[in-house]
Amino acid sequence: MRTETSAVEERVRVALEGVPDPEIPACSVTDLGMVERLDVTDDAVEVDLLPTFVGCPARDIIGGDVAAALRDVAGDRDVRVRFVHDPPWTTDRITERGRARLRDFGIAPHWDRATGSAVTVPLMNVSGVPCPFCGSTETVMESGWGPTPCRTQHWCRACRNPFEGFKEK
Amino acid sequence: MPDQDPRLALLLSVADDELILGHRHSEWTGWAPYLEEDLAFSSLGQDEIGHARLLYELAEPLAGKDPDTLALGRRPEEYRHAILCERPNRDWGYTIARQYLYDTADDVRLAALEDSSFAELAAAVKTIRLEERYHLDHARQWFSRLAAGPVQARQRFAEGLEAAMGEAMALFETLPGEKVLVDDGVLPASNEELLAEWLGRVGQQLEEATLDWVLTEHARAAGEMVPTSSGEIEEGPSLSVPGIERSDGKWVHVGEFAGAGGRRGKHTDDFTELWEEMTSLYRAVPGATW
Repeated sequence: MRTETSAVEERVRVALEGVPDPEIPACSVTDLGMVERLDVTDDAVEVDLLPTFVGCPARDIIGGDVAAALRDVAGDRDVRVRFVHDPPWTTDRITERGRARLRDFGIAPHWDRATGSAVTVPLMNVSGVPCPFCGSTETVMESGWGPTPCRTQHWCRACRNPFEGFKEK
Repeated sequence: MPDQDPRLALLLSVADDELILGHRHSEWTGWAPYLEEDLAFSSLGQDEIGHARLLYELAEPLAGKDPDTLALGRRPEEYRHAILCERPNRDWGYTIARQYLYDTADDVRLAALEDSSFAELAAAVKTIRLEERYHLDHARQWFSRLAAGPVQARQRFAEGLEAAMGEAMALFETLPGEKVLVDDGVLPASNEELLAEWLGRVGQQLEEATLDWVLTEHARAAGEMVPTSSGEIEEGPSLSVPGIERSDGKWVHVGEFAGAGGRRGKHTDDFTELWEEMTSLYRAVPGATW
């Protein structure tokens, strides 16, 4: 007997929460707000993902990981994973849990809901991004470019640690 | 490749610009003046090549070729990027001058394409622009730094601007089938209108930095001389671009394009070298995945 659609949908949600971003393994694709659409029918499990940065080299790896995770829970349903670009992925799609996990991982989300302040233009010289280690806003951006296209480099004057930021988009 | 659907000519012009300049950016990896710029140009290149991939995905049903084949499986004369994008990086002054002129032009054309009637393109452009603003910001910060810098920095930046200016104008060369694109709202403004907007912006910023003599120099030389790949000046009509003049307090272009540049597949020896390197693996091992 076929597993009911609603039960599969719940399993798919749980499975997606377990697929990490290979560049930021502390966060799942769900935490980063990459899941745009999830549709479970009698025949198929379809997921539309938004890439964070268009040129993200991890894109195809993430697509493959998501498909593999879905096959584990989809039973005999077809699994279809697509990348779409409408709407554009933006930083405010990162969930509250995703933000906390980013901070724990040592990456500061630029947009800080706690203070309600969005960091905007001029982009590259922004300072005041809260330090993920000590919370101080006595910080400077050292470079708008980092180990991946989505990250920036900062220095905290309070706890004297370097840290990375997640580029606002 | 026949450019039958004019939307294909548009997609390839933008995608090929991004791919080829992205490749030039990537050549700074390991060689930039310091580590942060090494990372910056590596990331700029990665972004641009990613944007090209997205646009090739949109082109796939029109071209009947997948993104990898479009990126790496065409003959050099089938690429539609502007010649500016294929030029070697030369020095830091030229690299920044070109990045500034290119990313300002990219901003102008992408702002127009956000309103395209080609809905998939408009959506793709919206997400691309969220990343391109970082590129423009990078170029503007270096512009300020070099323009205000020690004499040698300012001079080499100005020489870079001079070398790049004519070929930057050719980013706005009229596309094959452009009238249909404009009439259908696919391209919401003609390339000539986009050129006027770009030149107005660039002219004003160069004036603020008292570097607008670069435009005067271009005006004097336009249509008569063409910089070659080695940076020397030779006579020849290989790339005819409009002149520039200052009129009513604003820099404007005068004259028309000959229409024989990159958008029609005309490239230089610089591109042959780049193409040979860029496609070497693809040609040596057809169908390879990596």
